[in-house]
Amino acid sequence: MKKIHKSTFFIVVAFIALFAVSSITGFDYIYGDNTTTVVKGVDDIRLGIDIQGGVDVTFAPEEGYDATDEQLDAATQVIKTRLGALGINDNELYSDYKSDRIIVRFPWQAGESEYDAESAVKELGEMAQLTFRKGSDYDTDDDGNITPTGEIVLIGSDIAEANYTQQPDSNGNYEWVVTLKLNSDGAKKFAEATSELAGTSTPISIWMDNYMISAPSVNNAITDGSAVITGNFTSESSKKLADQINSGALPFKMETKSFKTISSTMGEGSLDAILLAAYIAFAFIAVYMIALYKLPGFVAVIALVGQIAGTLAAVTGWFGFMPGSTLTIPGIAGIILSVGMGVDANIITGERIKEEIKSGKSLDSAIRVAYKRAFSAILDGNITNVIIAIILMGAFGVPSSFFSKILNKTIFFMFGATTEGVVYSFGFTLLVGVICNFIFGVFAARLMVTALSKFKAFQNRKLYGGDAK
Amino acid sequence: MSKNNKKTASAVPANIKVYDFCSKKKIILAIAVCVILAFIVGAVVRGVNLAIEFEGGTMLTYSYDGSLNTNEVQKEIEDIVNVPVTIRTGESLDNSGSQITVSFTSEEGLNADRQHELTVKLQENHPENDIVLFDSNDVSPASGREFLAKCLLAMVVAAVLIIIYIAIRFSKIGGWSAGICSIFALCHDLVAALAASVLFGFEFNANIVAVILTILGYSINNTIVIYDRIRENRTLYPKATLNELINMGCTQSLRRSVRTSITTIGTMVIVSIVVFASGYNSLLSFSVPLIFGLISGTYSSLFVAPVTWSWWKGKEAKKSEKKD
Repeated sequence: MKKIHKSTFFIVVAFIALFAVSSITGFDYIYGDNTTTVVKGVDDIRLGIDIQGGVDVTFAPEEGYDATDEQLDAATQVIKTRLGALGINDNELYSDYKSDRIIVRFPWQAGESEYDAESAVKELGEMAQLTFRKGSDYDTDDDGNITPTGEIVLIGSDIAEANYTQQPDSNGNYEWVVTLKLNSDGAKKFAEATSELAGTSTPISIWMDNYMISAPSVNNAITDGSAVITGNFTSESSKKLADQINSGALPFKMETKSFKTISSTMGEGSLDAILLAAYIAFAFIAVYMIALYKLPGFVAVIALVGQIAGTLAAVTGWFGFMPGSTLTIPGIAGIILSVGMGVDANIITGERIKEEIKSGKSLDSAIRVAYKRAFSAILDGNITNVIIAIILMGAFGVPSSFFSKILNKTIFFMFGATTEGVVYSFGFTLLVGVICNFIFGVFAARLMVTALSKFKAFQNRKLYGGDAK
Repeated sequence: MSKNNKKTASAVPANIKVYDFCSKKKIILAIAVCVILAFIVGAVVRGVNLAIEFEGGTMLTYSYDGSLNTNEVQKEIEDIVNVPVTIRTGESLDNSGSQITVSFTSEEGLNADRQHELTVKLQENHPENDIVLFDSNDVSPASGREFLAKCLLAMVVAAVLIIIYIAIRFSKIGGWSAGICSIFALCHDLVAALAASVLFGFEFNANIVAVILTILGYSINNTIVIYDRIRENRTLYPKATLNELINMGCTQSLRRSVRTSITTIGTMVIVSIVVFASGYNSLLSFSVPLIFGLISGTYSSLFVAPVTWSWWKGKEAKKSEKKD
């Protein structure tokens, strides 16, 4: 390692302070009516429904029905569209092909303590009512609810299949389109309607329940029962429309396999209690460490601030390259465990520094040897925790997450996606906490102690737990 | 108890203070057995309360004003769900109203449709009580069992990977047996936490999963710190016997183990007190078993793991002597 100068201490402390302040308070600016969040702070933490209250539902097709992947996509799309229609935009939605499950989680929206979750969830699982209608007219009642009024051309069961594909347009460029195949009944009805509307400005609108998902205009009369919907589609938007149309032809209803609602009043208070406990515990640890290890103890407390800030930053999504995570009660347990590991790393090195100094080494070499020798224990202890964290993230992660893609195809192949997102949160905070422990508790602490030991004022061996020489 | 074996030809320098842990193996293992017995007795006497996350079932909590005839409510609900129903009443946390908790287990669970039907029925029958759904949890028994199985498999896989990791990293001092002994010590801690949970009458729910996971990480880390010392001493004092190395490693780690434990256990005690004082008792089923697990973790990694390991190695040595 290069020579460490006195100034290193101030650089490291300034870095940790800047990092801690920015990750806790965040940074946003207000321009007109819009608040732009540049850096996310603690206020932006997404709390899990076990803290904030909310709904956690797992849907699956009715007993005994084995849905195909396309059907499950379609069913997921139904739920997604309905969540939007219900105004529940802050939601998590996952589908698992293997076990035919769809998992939906959403916290209570602000100010909605009396929200009727039961009817909302009941509505999410209903079979979708898909209609193709002439024109795109609708009525709006006093409550703002929309009802389509156009004459019905087709209903869900008239459609055999919808697909998305690429085909050349008039200029020879490939574009994304949605193709429709109708059954014979549907083809007849569709032929009549399209003959009537071809060339007019009246579109045929496509509705899911009371929500308009598309309104393509009719270019030609379509008589052979297969239609192509063009528009400025991307691969994603064409798939979405195809899924939505397919959902109208779903032969099954979604049932709840597990359904949990947690009231918000229970949650908010418990978070306050946890935060209070966290402040007291931090003060206790700080006093304890400084009393026991003096100068290395003081450094340990600074490192601990960095470690906690780092974990919070990862949870809020402070780091642009990785998305944040939802913080649940087991997630807080993960933070406590990793803080414990961080304190432990500093106690191990603190004890080592004492031992080396007592064995008569010079301050310089005592510190160097102590950090070197303590590292193997810290490394092994933390790596085992990384193993645990990865297994948990794989086993209990959402189907699309990195570790669960790997593990669910191998170790956990016989299981479907799980409904307990809370355990994943534990793995996440533990993994991040352990990484931060290496950065702050080991690397930064070492820089700080070494730099401080260059000051004349801090060369008293008593400050490191040794006897005065 | 403190002695450095000056009389016998010891490879350990006389100026290092060493407690003889290995010769106390009977007492140490007896305490370990007591912990396991306490769990078994507790489980038999008090019974293990599996939460519906694992077992499947339904629990609905409604808040209401005024007074409610629980027998009447019970009958109304049983008419809808067709299985026996347990009713419990309590005070509401947030306001002066009361709460009623309905729980039952049915093979197919209660889906959202029927739950909605049930709530509407209660509200119709008792219009003056202003019944509102406060909390609900419904898990079909099949999903519950699957979750339980997945938790268990995750722990087994983690344990196997940890044994392999320890075996590789500590191959210098006989890794496989060291790894297995560390898992044995870990089981001891898990049993201690579960025993506390049973004796205090907590339900086994998602919190206990978090407790088990925390202890998993903490206990293994504790044991590894001691193994690491033994590994280092092996290099420093190549002539020392295994028991001497173990005794020395444990003695050197004693202070660190106790101090680390004070911080972690202290933290959990603070959490327990604050949570208890503010009335959010639902967190106690996390913090209290964890305290017991942590205490056990300190004990088992200092004593149980090294002593079992020394005993294992001793047997191995005897066996190979017989063969020769």
